[in-house]
Amino acid sequence: MNIAVFGMGCPKCKATEHNVREACRALGIDAEVTHVADPREFAKMGVRMTPAVVVDGTVLFSGKVPTVEELKEALQKLRS
Amino acid sequence: MRDVVVAGFLALKDYVATHVLTCLVPAFLLAGGIVSFINREVILEYLGEKRSKLSSFSLASIASFFVAACSCTVIPVASGLYFGGATVGVAFIILWVAPATNVLALTYTGSLLGASMAFARVVAAIIMAFLVGSIMSLAFQREHTVPVSSEGGSSQPKGAILERRSAFLLFLVLLSLLLPNYLIRSGPYLHKVILWAALTAIFATYAKLAFPPKAIQEWLRETFWFVRLIFPLLLLGVFVVGVIGKLLPETWIRTWLGGNSIRSSFLATLIGAVSYFATLTEAPFVSTLMKLGMGKGPALALLLTGPGLSLPNWLAIARVFGGKKAFVYVATIVLLGTVVGWFFGNFIFAP
Repeated sequence: MNIAVFGMGCPKCKATEHNVREACRALGIDAEVTHVADPREFAKMGVRMTPAVVVDGTVLFSGKVPTVEELKEALQKLRS
Repeated sequence: MRDVVVAGFLALKDYVATHVLTCLVPAFLLAGGIVSFINREVILEYLGEKRSKLSSFSLASIASFFVAACSCTVIPVASGLYFGGATVGVAFIILWVAPATNVLALTYTGSLLGASMAFARVVAAIIMAFLVGSIMSLAFQREHTVPVSSEGGSSQPKGAILERRSAFLLFLVLLSLLLPNYLIRSGPYLHKVILWAALTAIFATYAKLAFPPKAIQEWLRETFWFVRLIFPLLLLGVFVVGVIGKLLPETWIRTWLGGNSIRSSFLATLIGAVSYFATLTEAPFVSTLMKLGMGKGPALALLLTGPGLSLPNWLAIARVFGGKKAFVYVATIVLLGTVVGWFFGNFIFAP
């Protein structure tokens, strides 16, 4: 699983990345978490608001910091 | 040395302590509410569409009021729009208006410097937005950027921007912000606090009745983010403002920033465009300088350019949009800021 956090290094984006790692650890998912800071990439994915969480090419969240609970729920749905 | 530190703490007391409950708390709640209740995705979708210059520029000026509140979020939004197919004019209007005039900045400006200054700030920011948008489109119109956006989602029906009950809640929060500051202009601060508390109780009750707990949690979480991002910098900024106010000789301010001459306006614009002001700190800084003799026109110029532009910000804009656009943008803002400060100082604020 490839999880990308879209954001330009703001505190909200860092918090998002932290929550993503936390959720993966809780679910035992071995995912590669990357941080994408290029606005061209944002546009390519149709992401308008940062921070955003993109899992294997699907935008799960955008424009807010998802909580660990929300992330766990969304990741689990994606896995099943 | 001791005097200087004392001046810093006095500034904290003046600009923060007496504004926390009746100005900052409701302003943060309103900003958090805008983020969590207004569907900003839909607004941005409208902005990406092809439409006439007049309508896209007006839309961008109004939208940026609701899209972001500080320069840290505005660069990703503006660049996302630009690379997503919006015109260069629209992207730079967002980049300009959002920090120059937004809910947080306006309420704090109004509370510290008076309603007329806050009003001038909105009007001037929007006039400048149209000029910036026009100049950027003129300068770079031949440059056809191929939108990198892959999904052509424009044909899908758009969701609602704002539900009716959310609009009503935001209106109630707005009342709790405006009424204490405008109805009670004199008398002890406690009167303001009582009115604020009553109005807060009203919107809290309404929120509890009309919204599920999850929506309220989301709202408070966004509000808390604003507090966390802005409040520490505001405290630090205000302390520094107090210290600077103590150290700067009054005669300097009078000579270089006093009156409403072109030179004063230009210097104020330059200070604002180069140095970094954390969101909201521009208002106490200007208030301190005005007490030392800064003119109203230069004050407006500094309020406008302070929060949106700074050296690190120039570099970020250059990295994302390219050096040429960054240069034209900054030069335009400095020129316009100077003219607007001079114009408002001599013809609008004139005694």
